[in-house]
Amino acid sequence: MPDHRNHSLVRPETLTAIGLIAVSAGLLIPAAGLRPISALLPAAMLIGLLILAAIMLVKDQRKAAAGEAAKPMMKAPGRVLGAFGLIVLHAVAVDLIGFYPSTALSVPLVARVFGYRHPLGLAIATLIVLASIWLIFGLAMSRDFPTGRYWSL
Amino acid sequence: MYSELFHALPEVLSLTNFLAVVIGVVAGIVVGALPGLSATMAISVLVPFTFGLEPLVALGLMAGIYNGAMYGGAIPAVLLRIPGTPAAVATSFDGYPMAQKGEGGFALQVAVVSSCIGGIASAIALMLLAPPLSKVTLLFGPSEVFWVAVFGLCSIIFLLGGNVVKGLVSACFGVFVSVVGSDPIFGTDRYTFGQLELLDGISIVILLVGLYALPPVIDLLESPLKTEAANESLGTEPIWRTLPRMARFRKTWLRGSILGIWIGILPGAGGSMAAFMSYNEARRTSKTPETWGKGEPEGVAAAEVANNADTASALIPALTLGIPGTAVAAVMLGGLLIHGLQPGPMLFRDNPDIVFGFMWQFLFGAILLFFLGGSLATNSFAKVLRLPRPLLGSVIIVLMLIGVYSIHGRMFDVYLMLGFGAVGYIMDKLDFPLPPVVLGLILGAFAEENLRLALRIGRGDWSILFRNPTSLVLVAMTLAVVFGPGLKRRILGRRGTARQT
Repeated sequence: MPDHRNHSLVRPETLTAIGLIAVSAGLLIPAAGLRPISALLPAAMLIGLLILAAIMLVKDQRKAAAGEAAKPMMKAPGRVLGAFGLIVLHAVAVDLIGFYPSTALSVPLVARVFGYRHPLGLAIATLIVLASIWLIFGLAMSRDFPTGRYWSL
Repeated sequence: MYSELFHALPEVLSLTNFLAVVIGVVAGIVVGALPGLSATMAISVLVPFTFGLEPLVALGLMAGIYNGAMYGGAIPAVLLRIPGTPAAVATSFDGYPMAQKGEGGFALQVAVVSSCIGGIASAIALMLLAPPLSKVTLLFGPSEVFWVAVFGLCSIIFLLGGNVVKGLVSACFGVFVSVVGSDPIFGTDRYTFGQLELLDGISIVILLVGLYALPPVIDLLESPLKTEAANESLGTEPIWRTLPRMARFRKTWLRGSILGIWIGILPGAGGSMAAFMSYNEARRTSKTPETWGKGEPEGVAAAEVANNADTASALIPALTLGIPGTAVAAVMLGGLLIHGLQPGPMLFRDNPDIVFGFMWQFLFGAILLFFLGGSLATNSFAKVLRLPRPLLGSVIIVLMLIGVYSIHGRMFDVYLMLGFGAVGYIMDKLDFPLPPVVLGLILGAFAEENLRLALRIGRGDWSILFRNPTSLVLVAMTLAVVFGPGLKRRILGRRGTARQT
């Protein structure tokens, strides 16, 4: 089985450098429409990023050519992507169905998916979190949280 | 010069402000005791919640957390050989062997007393050095302020160690983020892409939470560490009874405090470097170096005194020049900014009660460590390690979301924070330093504003940036910071080759 991590173009640093070059070059286009003095700092930073990313790319490709293996970015990519996905899902759920319902679902869900499976512990923890948030932020600090776009349709 | 320091004292001693420090210290010890969580992360999560609070209450919480977390990191370092914070790595060298010999309680007491002494020394250094430095910086005009910002950015990139290219990428990214929003002079939109939410620029809090809080949460969930906390009481005797046994650490405390203060002032250096240097120096001068690493209490004292001595001193350049010495100091600058307090000389002139009150809070935070981190509390804090990490991770996610949403009451900021979080995670894993991003965001806007002001004064003539001696000194300092480390390496390399030949 080929080792994809050691393929010269799919090394994390190389991919990051290519991404940086693409994004910086793309962001330079709107700078052309600005007054010269307004564009000075953003353009300088973007050109700086382009040059630095090119240096990073060359350095990493030299390492690849010398047979140096790339350092893995994650210990468990599935868990990282899962964690990030659940966090994004929680934010979207807050936006759609409101803060309290989504939090009541996400606290036990995230904890359970990532290894804490004690049902009573999960129930008590969720209750404590929700009650504390309501008491501290809702009641004492009068903070408003999203009520959910779905309910206002 | 120091009279304002004493004017600020009654306000700090008010019940609310004092209670904020107490809560901060307790929270800091808990956060520090949990491996994977740091003072930087805790303060990043806390900053958005301080919006509605009085500035001194908010700053008291931050000062308390910083002090508490630096000591809290010693608890798992001693009991489990898992440093709660990077600064506590050196504490585990002798702390853990002590715990294995049944002296874990005494090791933690040495840690708490040493942390307290280091913190007090650091707070006194901040009180003594910051006011005169601020008087000098009051004389700076726009071109000098521009060079101070450039010097600050360069020093954190080049003195941080590690990869300079990656440091520069981080700084360029931070400065670029600072230009998003309306142009400060003409009011035209820059990189807002039609989003009204971006017109006022990107709030530093969103960036801080994304960069510093999200990656550790993902780490918590990525590899939930199974820690077996000490179930039994550590059986420590009252702390005051153990003080005579610690009297022999006097010289180590003095040396470690001076080292920690000096390293805190240097931009880019941090608590872990201070702890390692102090530990090595104390071991070098010890009469029994063979006992070190096998449970020598003086090793714990050396590491803990230094990692707490760099806390308040890191704020000396941060408060007077707007250049933070450490990542936590950078986050604290963000905390000051959201309360409308611009770090720099004007802070001392316009808000003396707040800035001097903040210094007192550091001192009280350090003193409180002795009482709150004592034997009884240490037994309780050791139990914090039993908290299930996935549950902790899910609660922190909720707190991050509440905090960021509360800034402007809009979900756009939450999505932006998640974007910065993803960028922060990649940067963290690829060893891009994060402090230059924060400093770039803080100093980028500051540098641009002053550069353009200087150019307006000079009617577009760029030579105005080099006309006065202070500017030239700052340019020379910047060049020294940029080229100094490389030159030093080259000279040392030549000497090495000469010796070999």
